[in-house]
Amino acid sequence: MTDAAKPAPVPSTPAPPPPAPADSVNLTIDGIAVIAKKGTNVLEAARTIGIDISAFCYHPGLPIVAQCRQCLVAIEKNPKLQPSCQQVVAEGMVVHTNDAQSSLARKQQLEFTLVNHPIDCPICDKAGECTLQRLYFDHDNANSRIDTPKVHKHKTVDLGPTIMLDQERCILCSRCIRTCDEVSGQHQLDFAHRGDHEVLTTAPGEQLDNPYSLNTVDVCPVGALTSKDFRFTMRAWELEATPSVCNGCATGCNIEIHHKQDRVWRLVPRHNPEVNKYWMCDEGRLTYHGLRDHRLAAALVDGLPAGWDRAIRAAAELLGPSLASAPRSIGVVLSAEHTNEDNFALAKLAKAWGVTNVYVAGKPEVPSRADGRLRVADVNANTAGVKLVAAALGLPATPIVELSADVRTLVVLGAELPGIDQAQLAELAIVAISAHERGPVAQAKVALPAAAWAEVAGTVTNAAGRVQRMHAAVTSPGQALPAWEAIVRLAQATGGKLSFAHTREVFHDMTQAVPAWKALSWTREARPLALRFAGSRG
Amino acid sequence: MSQKVLDALKAVHGGAIELLETQHGDAIAWIKRDQLVAVATWLKTSPEMAFDAPVFATCIDRLDWKPIDVPPGVPVYPNSAAWTDAGGKPRFEVVWQLRSSLHHHRLRLKAACPEHDPRVPSLASLWPAFNWQERETFDMYGIQFENHPDLRRIYLYEEFVGYPLRKDYPKEKRQPLVRRDDLPMNPIKAPGEGHH
Amino acid sequence: MAAPTTPPTAPSPGDANPRSLRQLVLGRKDVQDLSDAEQDLPPDLMTVNMGPSHPAMHGTVRIILTVDGERIVASDVQPGYLHRCFEKESEHATYTQVFPYTDRLNYVSPMINNCGWAMVAEKLLGLTGHLPKRAEYIRVIVSEISRITDHLTCVGASAMELGAFTAFLYFLKAREWLYELLEKVSGARLTHSYVRIGGVGKDLPDGFHDDLTLCLHQTEKIMVEVENMLNNNKIFRDRMAGIGAITKQAAIESGCVGPIARAAGVDYDVRKDYPYSIYPELEFDVPVGTTGDCYDRYLVRIEELKQSIRMLRQCLKQIPDGPVMIADPRVALPPKQDTYNTIESMIRHFKHIMDGVKVPAGEAYAFVEGGNGELGFYVVADGTGRPYKAYVRSPSFVHLSTASQLIHGHLIADVVPIFGMINMIGGECDK
Repeated sequence: MTDAAKPAPVPSTPAPPPPAPADSVNLTIDGIAVIAKKGTNVLEAARTIGIDISAFCYHPGLPIVAQCRQCLVAIEKNPKLQPSCQQVVAEGMVVHTNDAQSSLARKQQLEFTLVNHPIDCPICDKAGECTLQRLYFDHDNANSRIDTPKVHKHKTVDLGPTIMLDQERCILCSRCIRTCDEVSGQHQLDFAHRGDHEVLTTAPGEQLDNPYSLNTVDVCPVGALTSKDFRFTMRAWELEATPSVCNGCATGCNIEIHHKQDRVWRLVPRHNPEVNKYWMCDEGRLTYHGLRDHRLAAALVDGLPAGWDRAIRAAAELLGPSLASAPRSIGVVLSAEHTNEDNFALAKLAKAWGVTNVYVAGKPEVPSRADGRLRVADVNANTAGVKLVAAALGLPATPIVELSADVRTLVVLGAELPGIDQAQLAELAIVAISAHERGPVAQAKVALPAAAWAEVAGTVTNAAGRVQRMHAAVTSPGQALPAWEAIVRLAQATGGKLSFAHTREVFHDMTQAVPAWKALSWTREARPLALRFAGSRG
Repeated sequence: MSQKVLDALKAVHGGAIELLETQHGDAIAWIKRDQLVAVATWLKTSPEMAFDAPVFATCIDRLDWKPIDVPPGVPVYPNSAAWTDAGGKPRFEVVWQLRSSLHHHRLRLKAACPEHDPRVPSLASLWPAFNWQERETFDMYGIQFENHPDLRRIYLYEEFVGYPLRKDYPKEKRQPLVRRDDLPMNPIKAPGEGHH
Repeated sequence: MAAPTTPPTAPSPGDANPRSLRQLVLGRKDVQDLSDAEQDLPPDLMTVNMGPSHPAMHGTVRIILTVDGERIVASDVQPGYLHRCFEKESEHATYTQVFPYTDRLNYVSPMINNCGWAMVAEKLLGLTGHLPKRAEYIRVIVSEISRITDHLTCVGASAMELGAFTAFLYFLKAREWLYELLEKVSGARLTHSYVRIGGVGKDLPDGFHDDLTLCLHQTEKIMVEVENMLNNNKIFRDRMAGIGAITKQAAIESGCVGPIARAAGVDYDVRKDYPYSIYPELEFDVPVGTTGDCYDRYLVRIEELKQSIRMLRQCLKQIPDGPVMIADPRVALPPKQDTYNTIESMIRHFKHIMDGVKVPAGEAYAFVEGGNGELGFYVVADGTGRPYKAYVRSPSFVHLSTASQLIHGHLIADVVPIFGMINMIGGECDK
């Protein structure tokens, strides 16, 4: 504090900012002080304060190549503009993203990119989530200056079983090439020729057929690469996104379910640095087709549709005598494909009934899938969870192949009974709680319709023991209910004391019972986000 | 013009104010809800304010408020330490716009209230036009106006369930809530509402 | 009616006495048989339902009247039968997609609603005052034409309800000419969606000057005839004068604006007090009444018609040439020729339509002088192309809230002129 009589000296430079923590640096972007961890690039540092320096070829999950030159910014003490995706932050760096030079560079780069771009927006799948559209509108918005014909390339190149390429739309950012290399480990895409005839094509002798090929469609900033499964089916801005978890295998990649009016149109990966980063496999993406496949929509008694009440009564009549006199003749099959909550409800019911023959069933393993990347051999979503739930309630979790000869009646969750042949099935009386009408459901005495994975709120446990929350995206067809609700109805008809009114109640009971899950808490149901409100996904 | 009003308000009722701001030339004053009636009475009766004409009353639901491209440093939804809604910001802002036919100045009053306690005092006794407009706000947002002479639904029928202008009320939801077999979608839940 | 105390006697065969037969069939006494006490009318109040499907309820409004004979002692006005969720729909639509919704608010003066919505978006974008002059003049021209159609409809319909069918038909004839003119301008008689953020959709058609001059000339002649019919008409004056009066103070506090407030003596017109667009360059007077009754409202509206015609003649003389849309790529669609032939314009067109005009985050309230008074739009924007909240300050809603107080103490038959002169447009009231 200066003496009041003397005027305070005017500082010539502003006081330096306080020192950043040891692993971070101070820098200034557009006059705003930013603290960024060492090793961050300037583009990411700018994003943390809401400044969008446009970029095409940069992707946080891929190696940086600084190829598109869209992210050039002016950095003081540097004579030339630098690509901000490649420039690592340094202490005291002063960055200008909106000065005359950077803005002009950005506009000019966009102008170059658009010179030969075909006027395809009305027919291009990427419209509505296209990075080129977004960056042009936000950063350039100038009129075209060319009056020469555009260079033409091939517009429908079949790259492989899953992807179509439009060479004219490609802006040569190389994200797809790097994605193939990084995610699948196979080099299947490359550039050919030079100058304005440069095109994307398959690497010599290769096809784009690796099991992670559809990730290239996600990363492509324009509509050059399109998924054969999704193209021309639905416009992006009409979709709503609900977060969930892929049920294709035990990895549990985090996904977004894109749906509209109660129908799922595609699945896309959601970023989770600890599970799947930015990627998912092609098989997982296509599991949404199974949601409409042979769905069990009505309760069946002896193969004929019946209402819930009649079906529950039939099941109670079937189980009643055995429950009273010979609980050893009843087998309960938990499902490695259903949520923790469904399995917990059934296990609790088994315990209340005094049934000790508790089995676990799921789809058989596919050893060829295990590739050390995302795909694993276990194609069931919740094997780990089922085992934990059964163990916590003190029940065995015997694989269903070891079905005991004493069992005469089976209560099956799910539609898989691997290793049980037709002869054995014919001898059993089955109560099936399943979403699909296949497998043992055909021979079931009573079949109760369950909701499928995209229609329920619940949790699944992946192979690493991670419990992940799913949110319901669409409503179940017909009279299907979440499996735990079917189980509660069955319990109430057979004297087992179960009374849950909401999935979160099952969850709370479950987390009290399973010691490893005691600290978990139920999150609020995610409302679907309309993609047209989310800004561009691109 | 608007700055004079805000200055006078600060001078007389400084303690009741959460925040004063001007946006696009409009004066906006955020008032603590328990002192709102006192401030409003002063605004109406004091000769230099003379806000005798009511303009509108409505509510803003900030549940989905995620503005983009806001220049850094510009508070678009002001943060105030006094609002402690379980650590977050209050969900609802009830807005009243006033006009003075004598001095021709205008003022927007705002009172914030949280989701679990959506009550604000009613200004219908001071300005009769707010009677119906507060009823409309109650109808659409579920805000309970204390001491309102006749707080019931105005646009919607009495048996309507829910408050439609809230952000978590799906646009496609149909009422009355009866199961109908002729509709392709379940009217009890909007599509995508899922099962809990 | 008193209950019968003596059971009817069965007629014997051959007894042709008609009164006994009537007693048997109707089971009650004939009027001549009633005692003096029984002949008094019951003193109970009666509840009568007026609307929502009632020819005199402009739009759909239900009034539950409690009447003492013919005199109204209490009423409950229930709007909402035309509620079409304007605000909820606007939250899901881009700013440009909201223009058709605004058409359907005050559907007898839709251009004014369009202008109000465009003004609030421009206020948030910072474009107020930067529009090309020609665009502003066109907006004022179509707004004033809409105001004329609004007043013609209001006065014509009210006169018809009082029995003056001729006045209604004359005014509707004049309104038809104006609707045809607006159809040439925008493509639709009523649901124009003509105004855009940053200007108007397209320029005025060829021959507009001459067409409008002729229309105004013909409308003036019609107005002279109707004024001769109504102004000093004894029946009209008896049914309108002294009915539904509101004091100046009550009008202000009840939020009344427009012709209703001006009839009560409140000198408030948005075009004069908070001028917008090119109104400062026009000369016009604002008629202000004295008693606030229905007759004054009628006179105010007639005078406003004359002032609108005066303004239109000035606009036709003063309108400059030039573009009709601001040359700002954030706001204006590119020309179709470019959209189909260059990728840049294609992308810009695409983003404008799909994402909307990106309006910076903030809130604003912009208001115009609608046919019924201060019509305002209060918009909270969040930086995207869709409004976060879009509230309409509709003058009809506020005026309808005073209806209960206005009809109190009057006869049921007075509800008709009072309602007519409030000019409650169902679309604007119920949103």
